[in-house]
Amino acid sequence: MERQEVIDGLIEVLRTVRTVDPAKLENVTEETDFMEDLSTPSTELINIAAKVEQKFNVEFEDEDIDDLGSKVKDVVDLILKAKARGEA
Amino acid sequence: MPVAGRKVAIVGMAGAFPDCADLSEFNKKIFAGTSLIREWPKAVAYNKQIRSTVSGYISDNDLGIDPIYLVEGYDWPDTFIDTLGRIPDINLSTADLGCVWAMINAQEAIAMAGWTKTETESEQTGVVVASGGGGNVIARHAWHAFFELGKKSRQAGSHTVDRAMSYREAANISCLIKNRGVCESIISACATGLGNIGYAYRLIKFGLQDRAIAGGVEGTALETFIGFDAMQVLSKGFTPAQSSRPFDLNRNGFVCSFGSGIVALEEYDMAKARGANILAVIDEYFNNSDGDGNMFYPSYDGQIRLWKGLAAGGAHIKPDVVKVHGTATPVGDILELISVVDTLGEDGYHITAPKSMFGHMLGAAGSVELVSAILMLQNQQVLPNINSDTLNPELENFQKKEGWQGSMKPAQAYRHLIPQETISKEINQIVCLNYGFGGTNSAMAISRDI
Repeated sequence: MERQEVIDGLIEVLRTVRTVDPAKLENVTEETDFMEDLSTPSTELINIAAKVEQKFNVEFEDEDIDDLGSKVKDVVDLILKAKARGEA
Repeated sequence: MPVAGRKVAIVGMAGAFPDCADLSEFNKKIFAGTSLIREWPKAVAYNKQIRSTVSGYISDNDLGIDPIYLVEGYDWPDTFIDTLGRIPDINLSTADLGCVWAMINAQEAIAMAGWTKTETESEQTGVVVASGGGGNVIARHAWHAFFELGKKSRQAGSHTVDRAMSYREAANISCLIKNRGVCESIISACATGLGNIGYAYRLIKFGLQDRAIAGGVEGTALETFIGFDAMQVLSKGFTPAQSSRPFDLNRNGFVCSFGSGIVALEEYDMAKARGANILAVIDEYFNNSDGDGNMFYPSYDGQIRLWKGLAAGGAHIKPDVVKVHGTATPVGDILELISVVDTLGEDGYHITAPKSMFGHMLGAAGSVELVSAILMLQNQQVLPNINSDTLNPELENFQKKEGWQGSMKPAQAYRHLIPQETISKEINQIVCLNYGFGGTNSAMAISRDI
């Protein structure tokens, strides 16, 4: 799975999170920070992780979630890691 | 205890009503005797699994609200969009459907009351709102994901607690309007709606708050409906409009409905001083319990004591209309009718059961029916008891039992008290009655401000 494909899927998920301003999703890059750039409330981060698991049909390790950074690239890395683990 | 001289005014009201866009449509329909009950496709879809299929329901996408679903394969709303821009997304993220209505209605009631931002956000403004049931829609899907699908707990959603907890309506309203006073829920089954308003009335009457947003809510939930369907207590075998038949000889159960009723209360002199439009004055509120150990069966003794308690504090109780609980269950209606007649006599007032139009809204029943009573004061009209076509010419079984202390006349003898059409007359005071499982009884008297 390509990184851009993952980002596109992630943005699709973010569009269903109403506390993220849809206008801010136009220019999302790997360096975009959920909390600083998208003003995502911290309570929503776990919701986003859970939705991402459903969208990409993966399951993250609890430890990975605990240590998750707040940038888009952190989530993309996590998805690809979980995908790779699933395919191994 | 009450503080001498303090009175409580109702200065705002709002609601979410089945098959109605707003309060104005609700007002028009119920005084025209129009039923708000329809066949519920969501119930019909379960075929023979479900016994009753009629309800006064409000769908997820009514009232300018759009549900947002999770990624494909999930058929329950993850959150909601307010297409009319009334409620910010951050507040919607912590709300189930009933909480969305509660927040919208709180805003509308405050607008009608004319409270300033400073007044609303004051330490002297409280929120006392609840529903009868838990957040059953949210809880079911959360538990299903964990127990049946074996998913991680986070798949239940990080808002399972705030969207399903018992006092979610009060919490969501308080976070929206940012009041600094009391924020609580009073939960007493089908007496919840009136109970919350009664408690808020006491907060003001006792000098603890100057203003309060109060009421009851029951968000549409098939999960809630199923519980009552299982008890075989829901109406069956009539057309939707004829399904809710308080007092009628052929009634066979209540219609399970959903909605919201929210009022804004204010200390009377303060409201008067700022020139507020006083919708009604609360003369008194009283509640008690049957004390007979019976969870379900209504108590004549409990209801007679309820009336005595309502007048015990010195309030002048002489209603022109009694808005009864009147659910259309076989025992409750006539027992309630007789407790009213044995208290007030056989003439000089009318009895109305608005559930005949919109069914039983459970935790919202008392508050939506109080809104209906305020509309009766405003319109100077008594709401009709639609479908009360035939009153029993024979005595009820409970009247034949040894030790029965009440009237020995059949329901038919009181036809003149129970209008089938809307009637116009001078209405200065209305007493509202609601009861709940567990033998809890509540009564509130409201009057015109004249």
